[in-house]
Amino acid sequence: MVTKTIKVVNEQGIHMRPAGMLVAEMKKFPNCNVTLKCGEKTAKATAVMQIMASGIKCGSEVEITAEGENEQAALDKAVELFETGFGE
Amino acid sequence: MRIVDLLSKESILLKASPKNKQEAIDKLVELQVKGGKIADKEAYKKGILAREEQGSTAVGEGIAIPHAKSDAVKGPSLAAMTVPDGVDYEALDGEPSNLLFMIAAPMDGDVHLEVLSRLMTILMDEDFRAKLLAAKDKNEFINVIDEMEQEKYPDEKKEQNVSGDGSYKVLAVTACPTGIAHTYMAAEALEKAGKKMGVPIKVETNGSGGAKNILTKDEIAACDGIIVAADKAVEMSRFNGKKVYKTKVSDGIKIPEELINKIVSGDAPIYNHDGEITDGGSGDDETFGRKIYKQLMNGVSNMLPFVVAGGIFIALAFLIDTIAGAPQDSTFGTYTAAAEFFKTIGGYAFNFMVPILAAYIGMSIADRPGFLVGLVGGYLATTGSTFSSVGGDVPSGFLGALFAGFIGGYIMLGIEKLCDNMPKALNGIKPVLIYPLAGLGVIAVIMCAVNPIMGYLNTGLSNFLSNMGDSSKIVLGCILGGMMSIDMGGPFNKAAYTFGITAIAAGSYDIMAAVMIGGMVPPIAIALSTTFFKNRWNEEERKNGPVNYIMGLSFITEGAIPYAAADPLRVIPSCLIGAATAGGLSMAFDCTLMAPHGGVFVFAVVGNWPMYILSLVIGSLVGMLLLALLKKKVNE
Repeated sequence: MVTKTIKVVNEQGIHMRPAGMLVAEMKKFPNCNVTLKCGEKTAKATAVMQIMASGIKCGSEVEITAEGENEQAALDKAVELFETGFGE
Repeated sequence: MRIVDLLSKESILLKASPKNKQEAIDKLVELQVKGGKIADKEAYKKGILAREEQGSTAVGEGIAIPHAKSDAVKGPSLAAMTVPDGVDYEALDGEPSNLLFMIAAPMDGDVHLEVLSRLMTILMDEDFRAKLLAAKDKNEFINVIDEMEQEKYPDEKKEQNVSGDGSYKVLAVTACPTGIAHTYMAAEALEKAGKKMGVPIKVETNGSGGAKNILTKDEIAACDGIIVAADKAVEMSRFNGKKVYKTKVSDGIKIPEELINKIVSGDAPIYNHDGEITDGGSGDDETFGRKIYKQLMNGVSNMLPFVVAGGIFIALAFLIDTIAGAPQDSTFGTYTAAAEFFKTIGGYAFNFMVPILAAYIGMSIADRPGFLVGLVGGYLATTGSTFSSVGGDVPSGFLGALFAGFIGGYIMLGIEKLCDNMPKALNGIKPVLIYPLAGLGVIAVIMCAVNPIMGYLNTGLSNFLSNMGDSSKIVLGCILGGMMSIDMGGPFNKAAYTFGITAIAAGSYDIMAAVMIGGMVPPIAIALSTTFFKNRWNEEERKNGPVNYIMGLSFITEGAIPYAAADPLRVIPSCLIGAATAGGLSMAFDCTLMAPHGGVFVFAVVGNWPMYILSLVIGSLVGMLLLALLKKKVNE
């Protein structure tokens, strides 16, 4: 299991488009369980609705955890997406 | 930010069957527009489509949440649509969508994300989604969401109610000059907004029936601040030291949330009853003209009941004497005991009319100390006191009283300013002794100085009329008619009326006929105008309009005073020209009258009465048309 905490940089927070992007990327790691933890809320990185329901705003800290096959690659990809602000 | 507060009934469409994504978007945009928060439909739709181009907003589970953050959005809002058979919204999972929520968010803030997050949170519940799809009507749809929100966010529900100890966070007072509609509309809007925002609010209405739902001392002490949305003076001293935001009553209707926010955010300035508003703030951004209007209307609306009740009493007296068959001469109206009762008491009520006008103008300028200067100043205008004849000489009428109300009010403010420098020890006796005493002295001197001018005017006019005797009768008739209506009880009116009575004594009866008709036209012209040109008058003026038919027909010119006082520059010229027309025609037709009053009740003794009636009708119509022409439409 690998974990990293990052800060949300895109101004609009994790709205639907970034959430969708994340989900699409994470689905490429079918045997790896990736979760996001923001405040008290936890969301599966492959469930758009759960991510949206967390309402992750710009500047908030998110703890990303990956566990399973290719867990480091999955985590790196997720972190990359967050750090590049999902291309925004 | 509750979902149910963002979703209005107009923006819900159940059991829709759009053919494709395009049509679904069109329908949802349409629903958003109905909700009223979209300033520019095309721009908003463009935002929605641009978002869809980046990827479908159908998130799976049959849910689609198209959204746009745009300048075209005035405030956050939601539209909802259920599609039982589903529509292909190009979902990631390829499944059709059957629950569609469209979000409109303004550019600033995180509303967008909050709404999205909240929607997702509740929509994750499968039972909830099923209930939404099964909802039979819009009310049920909203109730399902409401229940769900209360369950998921139990804390908010409590905030909706009055805070724990039963106190209110925000208080408000609403008042409009008429006190019939706007007062209550503003109160309702504020209460609704308070509920929506979860801010406990209590609103006092200062309507025509007196203040209702009055704020108590404890409530005022416990609240964060007070909103005063009023177009007339309200009792302010009780708010001393509290945060008060003063504004127009229409703001209470239009922007209640904004007003509540002013108090909640602590932006409102602290109100200091003794003088200026401290702590900066922008509570005093009214224009001078608006202030004057407000003060004037405060006087007029308080004067109206006196005019109406007194006028009807006097008309009753004439009616009683007509039935009793009293002789139609100068005793008409007081001939029988019953008539005398009504005419005398009605006359007493009338006597208060002009002082009350001045008193309430004074009070709206300088609060309670202004009441005294206005009342006494107005009374001095009716007695016509001068230095040489303090008991009274020539009344300056309602124009003099208007002057007394305004000048008295502002002088009182000046006196209060001057007294600021007095030792603090005297503070206690300022309002009970110093202000009233100084105010009374100053207004007495001013009115005694002003009234003689009216006296000269009156003498000059009388002489002028006497010298007119030789020239054209018709011109004289026009002048007399006009004079009767120019000040409705002031020097012009008085001079014309006295001239008419003198003429009766001298045996020429045509002059009194022209005088009376001139005094009958203004109320009738106004009454006609309130009947046929309703949009020129406010609600209260319209409601009192019919009474002016009775007033006019009874030769009670004073019925027109409240209307003239409210808008002298337009009403007086209209009445003047109408009355002059009638006076001139009456002379032209050689109409005569031997009784000095009585209106329609003495028409039996009018010489050439058919033409007299015709003159009255023409004069009144002229007045009415001019009123329609000159007066602007009222936005109510």
